Amino acid sequence: MQIIVPIKQVPDVALNIKVKDGEIVQEGISWVISSWDETALEAALQLTEEAGGEVTVLSIGTAKVQEALRKALALGAHQALHIQCDSSAGWDSYQVAKVLAKTLADQDYNLIITGKQAQDSDAGLTPTMLAEFLGLPQVTNITAFKDVSDASITLHRKGDDGIEISKMTLPGVVTVNDSLAEPRLASMRGIMMAKKKPMETVDIHSLGLAPEVLQSGGLMTEVVQYEKPDERKEGRRFEGDETETVPEVMQNLKKNIGLFA
Amino acid sequence: MSKILVVADHKSGSLKDSTKELLGFASGLGTEVNAVVIGSGVSAAADEAAGQGAATVYVADDASLEVYTTALYTGLVVDAVQQSGATQVWLTSTEIGRDLTPRVAARLDVGALSDVTKLEVNGDDITAYRPCMATKLIQQVRFKHDGVRVLSIRAGSFEVIENAPTSANVVSLFLPEADSRLEALGVEVEESNEISLNEAPIVVSVGRGAGGPDGCESVRPLAQQMGAAFGASRAVCDAGWLPHKHQVGQTGTQVKPNLYIALGISGAIQHLAGMSGSKTIVAVNKDPDAPIFKVADYGIVGDLFKAVPVMQEEVNKLKT
Repeated sequence: MQIIVPIKQVPDVALNIKVKDGEIVQEGISWVISSWDETALEAALQLTEEAGGEVTVLSIGTAKVQEALRKALALGAHQALHIQCDSSAGWDSYQVAKVLAKTLADQDYNLIITGKQAQDSDAGLTPTMLAEFLGLPQVTNITAFKDVSDASITLHRKGDDGIEISKMTLPGVVTVNDSLAEPRLASMRGIMMAKKKPMETVDIHSLGLAPEVLQSGGLMTEVVQYEKPDERKEGRRFEGDETETVPEVMQNLKKNIGLFA
Repeated sequence: MSKILVVADHKSGSLKDSTKELLGFASGLGTEVNAVVIGSGVSAAADEAAGQGAATVYVADDASLEVYTTALYTGLVVDAVQQSGATQVWLTSTEIGRDLTPRVAARLDVGALSDVTKLEVNGDDITAYRPCMATKLIQQVRFKHDGVRVLSIRAGSFEVIENAPTSANVVSLFLPEADSRLEALGVEVEESNEISLNEAPIVVSVGRGAGGPDGCESVRPLAQQMGAAFGASRAVCDAGWLPHKHQVGQTGTQVKPNLYIALGISGAIQHLAGMSGSKTIVAVNKDPDAPIFKVADYGIVGDLFKAVPVMQEEVNKLKT
C-alpha cells in the first residue's frame, strides 16, 4: 500500500498568536506540523504496519517546511517530497489543491490521507478540492478504518447523526478526525534514521502548472486582515461549599440571563 | 443580478434552524432566494423552505438519498446551481456541509469560504468573517474572482425567523450517477430523541472530572431537566465514556449556546475553541488553575458530584 500524506507546517496555536496592523506577527511563532496532519500520518503509519507499503509525506513551501518533513520522517514516514516555492503566504485552499493535484497526477498511490483541516486556517477545504481535481472518491472526518487492502478500505466517518460506515475502492482521499489515534512521539532512533531517509525537492515551477495558478491572480479568496476576537474575560469565582456557591450562581443566571424566568 | 441558493439541512423531515437562519437572512437582502432540499421524504421540508422565503425549491427526494453521499449530493447541488442561475451557494457548517462545500466549489472551479460566522453582503460583493487559529483570531475574507460564491456558515450566526410553511414551487432534480467506488455499509446512529448540540440554547457538558461512564450518566438528568443538549470533552469520548456524538470542540461539534455549563472539564485548547463563543459560561472544576476558568463568567471551584445535585434542586426552584 502506497500512502501519500500531505502535511502543512503551521504556527503552534497553543502559543499566543499576535496581530499587528491586521497581520499576524511572524516573530516568536513556533512552527509545527498541523495536529490533524500528525493524526493523518499516524493513521498512515498504522495502515502500512498492518498492510505493508510505504508512506510519503508531502509539503509545499520554502526550505523551512523541510523541518516538518524531517520530523515526519523521524516519526516513521519512508520518504518526503518537498514542493519548493519562494513563498506560499496568502495562498488559498483552491491554489494549494491545484498544486497538490498537479504534483500527484502522475504518482502511484492507493490512498491520500490528510488532516480534516489545517490548524492555522481551520478551513478544511483543500483535501476535498484535491479529491475533486483528481477525480477521486473522498471520505472526510474519519474516526476509524478496517479491512485494509491495496484495493479497498472500510472507513468510519463521524457524520451529523452518528458513524457512517462505507467501503472505498482505492485510490481515494481520506481526512482524519483526531479521535482516530494519538500520534506517536519520535524516538531517538527515528530521529537518527530520518537523516538518511530520502527527501526529494521539486521546484514548483517545474510542475507544469498554468502560470496564473502560482500568481496572486490564482487566488479565489483572500484574507483582507486578521483581528483578535473580543477576548472573554474571566468572570467571578465562587469558592467554598457547593450548597452555597451553586445557588448563588443559579440566582445570578436567573437575574442576568433570565434562566427559566 | 445576484441569486442565492441555500442548501437545506433537515432532520426527521423538517428544516433545521441553521437553514431557517440562512433563508431568513438571505430573504432580508432583497435578492432572489432559492433552496435545494435533498433527502428521502422531504416534501414537508420543501414547503417549510418556501415558507421561509425560497422562491423555488429544487428537490431531490429518493430513498437512495436517505444517507449522505458526496457524489450524489454534489451532483444535485451543482445541478440546482446551474438550473437556478445562482451566483451564491450557502451551506451550513455541519459535517455534511463541511464535506460538500469544497467539493461543490471545486466542481464549479471556484474557491470557497468555510465556517463563516458573520457576513456582509452587497449583491455578490461579500465580506465574510471566520474564526481561525483555534478561534484565537478572526479572519476577514473576500472572494477575489468572478464566479459563483460558495460559503458554509455556522449555525447560530443569524436569528431564526419562524414562518408558516407554504406550498413550494418545486423543481424536481434528476438523480445523478452514484459513485460505485464508495459503498455505504450503514450508519451507527448513536441514540436519538436527544437535543442536538449545535442547535441547543443550553449545553451541559461533562469532562474527565466525571471519572467514568457512571459519573457521566449522573450528569445526564441535569441536562434533561434543563432541556439542554448533553455535551462532553474529547477525553470523555476518546475513553468511550460517552459516544463521540457528544463531543464539543473543534473536532466534535462547535457550539455557541446562550448558556454553557462545563462540569469537570479542564479546558483544552480545542475544547475552548469549540465553545468559547457561548453567551454565558459556567464552569465547575476542582482545580482552581483549570484553563476553563479563564473563559467562564461564573467559575465554581468545587466538586461536580456535589454541585450537580444542588444545581438540579435550584433548577427545580427556578422552574416553579
